[in-house]
Amino acid sequence: MNATVDVTAREETPPWLEYAAPIFTVLAALGVGALVLLVIDVNPIEAYSLMLVETPTSRQGQTDILITAVPLVLAGLAVYLPLKAGLFNIGAEGQLVFGALAGTWVGLNASLPGYALVPLMFLAAAGAGGLLAAIPAWLRAKWDINEIITSLLLSFIALELLSYAVRGPMKGATGNFPQTAQFSEAATLPTLYGRVHVGLAVALVLVVLTYVLMTQTRLGFEINFVGSNDEAAVQAGMSKYKLYLFVFVLGGAFAGIGGIGEIAGVQGRLRASFEPGYGFTAIPIALLGRGSAIKVLFAGLFFALLFTGGTTMEVFLGIPAALVDVIQALIILFLITGEFFKQYRVGLRFKRETPSTTANATRGDD
Amino acid sequence: MSEPPFLELDGILKQFPGVVANDHVDLRVKRGEIHGLLGENGAGKSTLMKILYGLYTQDSGTIYLDGERLELASPQDAIDAGIGMVHQHFQLIPRLSVAKNVVLGEREPASAFRVDGTSGGLLPESVRSNSIVQSLAQLFSLGLDVPKRRIQQLADQYGFDIDPDAKVWELGVGQQQRVEILKALYRDVDLLILDEPTAVLTPTEAEQLFDSLERLAAEGLSVIFITHKLTEVESVVDRVTILRDGENAGTAAVSDVSKADLAEMMVGREVLFDIERDGAERGEPVLELRNVGAESDRGIEALSGIDLTVREGEVVGVAGVSGNGQKELAEVTAGIRDVTAGSIRIGGSDLAGATPKEFVEKGISFVPEDRLRYGCAAELPILHNAVMKEFTDTRFGGKASLNYDELTAYAETLVEEFDVRGVDSVAETKAGDLSGGNLQKLILAREISRDPDLLIANQPTRGVDVGAIEFIREALLEQRQNGTGTLLISENLDEIMDLSDRILVIYEGEFVHETTPEAADRDRIGLEMNGGGAGNDTDDRPKRGSSRSPTPVATEHGAKRR
Repeated sequence: MNATVDVTAREETPPWLEYAAPIFTVLAALGVGALVLLVIDVNPIEAYSLMLVETPTSRQGQTDILITAVPLVLAGLAVYLPLKAGLFNIGAEGQLVFGALAGTWVGLNASLPGYALVPLMFLAAAGAGGLLAAIPAWLRAKWDINEIITSLLLSFIALELLSYAVRGPMKGATGNFPQTAQFSEAATLPTLYGRVHVGLAVALVLVVLTYVLMTQTRLGFEINFVGSNDEAAVQAGMSKYKLYLFVFVLGGAFAGIGGIGEIAGVQGRLRASFEPGYGFTAIPIALLGRGSAIKVLFAGLFFALLFTGGTTMEVFLGIPAALVDVIQALIILFLITGEFFKQYRVGLRFKRETPSTTANATRGDD
Repeated sequence: MSEPPFLELDGILKQFPGVVANDHVDLRVKRGEIHGLLGENGAGKSTLMKILYGLYTQDSGTIYLDGERLELASPQDAIDAGIGMVHQHFQLIPRLSVAKNVVLGEREPASAFRVDGTSGGLLPESVRSNSIVQSLAQLFSLGLDVPKRRIQQLADQYGFDIDPDAKVWELGVGQQQRVEILKALYRDVDLLILDEPTAVLTPTEAEQLFDSLERLAAEGLSVIFITHKLTEVESVVDRVTILRDGENAGTAAVSDVSKADLAEMMVGREVLFDIERDGAERGEPVLELRNVGAESDRGIEALSGIDLTVREGEVVGVAGVSGNGQKELAEVTAGIRDVTAGSIRIGGSDLAGATPKEFVEKGISFVPEDRLRYGCAAELPILHNAVMKEFTDTRFGGKASLNYDELTAYAETLVEEFDVRGVDSVAETKAGDLSGGNLQKLILAREISRDPDLLIANQPTRGVDVGAIEFIREALLEQRQNGTGTLLISENLDEIMDLSDRILVIYEGEFVHETTPEAADRDRIGLEMNGGGAGNDTDDRPKRGSSRSPTPVATEHGAKRR
């Protein structure tokens, strides 16, 4: 028997594959994940139905998904906007943390009633996130310094600043933990229903605003254009400098809002361990949702489902957290690999030949 | 024709939604001949060749190569059958060496996996000959020793001066093209398709290419040479087939037909090889460059001491050999390159150091030399590209909003007025999917319909077909009648002669000669272009008012319909 692996580029992606690819890749990832589960003696069907069916259908699960989706969607937008302008914002994590830091400071130090304090916290968070994001954008626009590296490195700076703040100037008075004091009632986000806080409403509004920005406005037109061909855009009179700053600052502000939403809506105080990884998860979210802001929303919800369902598996079936991470990572990895299958045709061909010809062919090659 | 044809295309039909790209086309190519495939952009040349190369599948019709019927499902099938193609845009990876580019897709596995005698013997025979190991090794390992020897041998055989270890980015365009040809030869092709190979070459490089092709043909290789340049057909092609509107308009031996016949077969009507220019009133200066200097991308002085005035209704032609500062001159005038010295007065104000936006708003339109790089966003639809400079206009929305319906309507008008073909829907068809000539028409439509005061056209007809050239030149002259000042930069001296009121010759970033089409001495201009002139003189000051008569000089393209 003779086997060959063929990889050919596709001329066009057939329409059915556009939808089938993600479904099949997720199924394939679950299949591989099942092996992992079998090894630790967990019934994969039970585990997956808990993760993907029971979690999104239970009230508890829905609440957790929506709460987790808030920072994911906002950070997703923070990557999506620069991506449309042809830039990579790898530093949404830092912008999120920086926003959380600034918002927390306002929440702890300003004594205002809730209806004034909460918006002020959001503003501070948006400003801080935008400010941090402005640095890589400015360096890129002015000096052509690679924004991937600068935005990523600024994330580490933001995380170290957080670490310093909660051990030093912003450390809570009680106990010796690296964390701030608990938020007052006024600084805590009001809830919509159950534990779902207003951050969700804010995120939804920002998704819609981003959608309108990209499809109905001049600025959106310019962002699309500069993202497709920056040299032609400059020739047409668009300002790369302005657009690069705009997408990064707006994206950073969104991430900052996501950060304070998580702290003031869920955690109640800022801890040194606040290193949620949302900003990095935002990168695959934006890549999967790069078609439009609405797609970013759905990608964000999907990742929230993966995270929440993963935690549920961990709690109810005693699956080690590390293996849950493995399964989540498999799904993300397979989804992104799915893009490859949209662009290439891969075939494994088996040719049965009579033994004598095979032997001859081999001998001939010698 | 006693000898049976080597390649035979029989009744090839290919339809796309709404268009018949190839309407029962027949094509016969003999062994060892250079066969020209001539036609306007959109005539179906590329579609036909894509079918032959397995990129498209014909709706009906058959292909025979050397008497055998071919079913081509992919380029791999075509290559296996012995057909190679050199695309207009090179399919090379600049960072890789010549050898790696050549073996791409046709790799030898690393020597450790090889089944023949050249193996290093690191792996046992049974593992090496296992089919899965073989196919994986074929996919994931690379041996370059044997290929390099073969590439060198091929290069020597055909007189290509190429080092297999050189990185492709280090090579000039002509050499890169030779790498593409080597790629085909390496795959032992019997038929080589060249898609507009001279579009990117200088005249000298083109001559070298023709020499190589003749050598290949002499070795028995058949060559299909796609072009829309009549002179090239005359200089290199044996027989020529003309396509028009997807149909075969005839095949002829080049020695039997005249250039005018070919042009008529191609366009479907008589094409006149001279142009009529009516005198236009020349008014106020729209552009005044004084003592302008600029640097190239690499920071080398590219322009120095440039003085230039363009008046309303005047076409100023800048002639010169490519790379003598034309690109920088165009970009400085369009505001996308900073000047290092001097002033740019446009409409009375000095714009040196202003943003590109201010230049656009001052009524300057720019048709850049590199259409895909500066002229359009290839990945975006026609819509975005058609309105790229006008979308800020108040008729398309409010201060911040955009009305996409209005934009679409405007884009559709441009497409219709300028006869841009190959557009399904302005909101869907991508600019990059248009053929060169049609993309250029779209860009020209965008720039002209703004009714600019100054139009800068850098190589406006390079790489476009005769029909589109005619259209573009007419559009430029019409703009001149409307009082637009035009700065025309072209390497095509005939074009300069036909369209300009005044001619400047640029050499090493300086104007070295000034004349008018009437007073022009072609030999003198040719000499000045190559730096052989006496230096900076302007003896032949323009004689105004005598531009009504057609140019006395025989011209090559420059079609004008009576």
